[in-house]
Amino acid sequence: MNTPLIKTENLTKIYGRGAAEIRALDGVDFEIESGEFVAIIGASGSGKSTLMNMLGGLDRPDLGRMFIAGQDLGQMSNKALAKFRNETIGFVFQQFQLLPKKSARANVMLPLQYRRPRREDEKALAEQSLARVGMSDRIAHKPTELSGGQQQRVAIARALVDAPELLLADEPTGALDSKTSTDVMALLKKLNAQGITIVLITHDADIAAYATRIITMRDGKITADERTEKAP
Amino acid sequence: MRLPGYTTLKSAAGSLLERPLRTLLTMLGIIIGVAAVYAMLSIGEGAKEKILKSIDSVNARTMSIYPDWSQGRASRRRPWRPFSDKDVEQIQTLPGVYAATGDLSRQYPIVSETSDWNANVNGIDAQYLKAKDLEIDQGRPITSVEISRRETVAVIGTSVVRSLFRDQNPVGRRIKINNIPFTIIGTVTSSAGDNWAGRDPDNFVLIPRTTGRARLFGDHRLARNQVRGIVIVGESQQDLGRIESEVDYILRRARGLSADEAPDFRIFNFSANRQSYAKSQKTLSLLLATMGAVSLLVGGVGVMNIMLVSVTERTREIGLRMAVGARRSDILWQFLTEAVVLSIISGLLGLGLGYGVSKISLGTDNIEMLFAPHIAVLSFSSALIIGVVFGFLPAHNASRLNPIDALRHE
Ligand SMILES: Nc1ncnc2c1ncn2[C@@H]1O[C@H](COP(=O)(O)OP(=O)(O)O)[C@@H](O)[C@H]1O
Ligand SMILES: [Mg+2]
Repeated sequence: MNTPLIKTENLTKIYGRGAAEIRALDGVDFEIESGEFVAIIGASGSGKSTLMNMLGGLDRPDLGRMFIAGQDLGQMSNKALAKFRNETIGFVFQQFQLLPKKSARANVMLPLQYRRPRREDEKALAEQSLARVGMSDRIAHKPTELSGGQQQRVAIARALVDAPELLLADEPTGALDSKTSTDVMALLKKLNAQGITIVLITHDADIAAYATRIITMRDGKITADERTEKAP
Repeated sequence: MRLPGYTTLKSAAGSLLERPLRTLLTMLGIIIGVAAVYAMLSIGEGAKEKILKSIDSVNARTMSIYPDWSQGRASRRRPWRPFSDKDVEQIQTLPGVYAATGDLSRQYPIVSETSDWNANVNGIDAQYLKAKDLEIDQGRPITSVEISRRETVAVIGTSVVRSLFRDQNPVGRRIKINNIPFTIIGTVTSSAGDNWAGRDPDNFVLIPRTTGRARLFGDHRLARNQVRGIVIVGESQQDLGRIESEVDYILRRARGLSADEAPDFRIFNFSANRQSYAKSQKTLSLLLATMGAVSLLVGGVGVMNIMLVSVTERTREIGLRMAVGARRSDILWQFLTEAVVLSIISGLLGLGLGYGVSKISLGTDNIEMLFAPHIAVLSFSSALIIGVVFGFLPAHNASRLNPIDALRHE
């Protein structure tokens, strides 16, 4: 690919002012190509989540620029950012963030509700997406009737439902036991093999090992960026 | 094609149904408010219509005067004293008087060739038809010549036509009143809605007053030049007050009563009643509506309160919706729609309840007011406005949430 999917220039986010100033991101520069599986690791408070929120269009940088799928996120209106999150990004969260009273399918359909124009085949798309994560037999189940691993699969199906260009996962296995974590990571690996670009945040080296590239952060800066040719 | 508001509406209904108890409790405030506004307005209006209608039916420009011995202290009570033709004549000349006539009547059996029937026989003077707002249907009225010649002619009301002549034209036919034969020269119908105090307004026979005095009305209490009562019609409603005081003066003088003495007659001025009634009714309606509005307001604050709690509880949901592509305006609409759906359903239920309450208290005699569309529209739209106004703040708060903080909530 000649143009990278993600490109950041001197990305900076500052919290507080004066003596209390914290640079959650401090001049971050990197590029990510389409199809990569990138893990961002670092200690708690190193700025991983801040970076991910920025990449997902939930937050704006104080300094620097970033381009995702050819769009300059710093220049976009709130409306355009909402559209960007809807069409380009799929989020996966540590706490799953499923609506507890709604079925798996209704949860997966949620992003489609904000798509403009609306699609006619929302149900079918949601079911396809659930099939992709191996949850076809749990379509009508509510989150409380599912295990943690199953809930995270539903959440991944929701992220995938409108074919995003970038999947952003913030500690997706953080709330899961190690067996279930392995299953979820295998699923992400499979999805990446199908061509989806994934940026994954973790503080666990074993989880990071699933990625093809590991970026290490410390105090808002990138301290290491290495490619691992072979994944387990 | 999907309607753009359809999903918003559906998901609003969905999230209201997800918390049925809370939804119901929130609705209760508005239901009671709307029911209160509806019931109070319709009961108030209903009572007003009912009374005004019965007062209106007596011609709004009409006053009547009857002897009344019940006024004043018991020791000073005087005997029943009728009025004289001279009183009536004097009143007829007062400025602003459209017509005035004496009341001289009595119930008699009326006999035709084939049947008989009881009716009120009125001995009338020249102004009678005008004062009673009666118009000739068939035939002609009684002339002043016939009155002065004591002719035995009669004009009959439609109830008498129906009963004695089976609705056939009776002009030229003969009837007997107290065995005295009269020739029918005309028929009349009273003006519609003249039914007052439950009496049949068309069951009468009109004959010349002179004939009546000479051959029928043998009341020992009435002299040949006296009448039981006087009916006065003003040129306009505004004249009635002045006419009343002038009549009071004339009658006191004729009866030898001083200005500060209790009168032995009573003037019934319905227009005065009507005006003061309408005024006090207005105050009452206003009071009732205010009470309804206050209960609606309380309902509205309830909606706002519960919606604020709901927004706080659903902070993570809001954050998630924003993360998957909801605009701020989508969130605003979502919560506003919930408030409005809540208000519409409550408004409808409130109308039902208000209807029930009015039905119980108005009974069946005031059907029009029960269905009064303007009251229904008023109370329903106030519920809607309450929903929008009190739903706006919580919805606005929701739409201003920062998605990152919202997702981290709890
Ligand atoms: N809303 C905020 N206000 C103030 N400081 C914040 C805020 N969000 C994050 N920070 C700070 O920015 C730094 C990076 O946080 P974060 O990106 O969440 O780190 P990580 O995800 O790597 O644990 C931390 O020092 C954190 O305290
Ligand atoms: Mg974090």
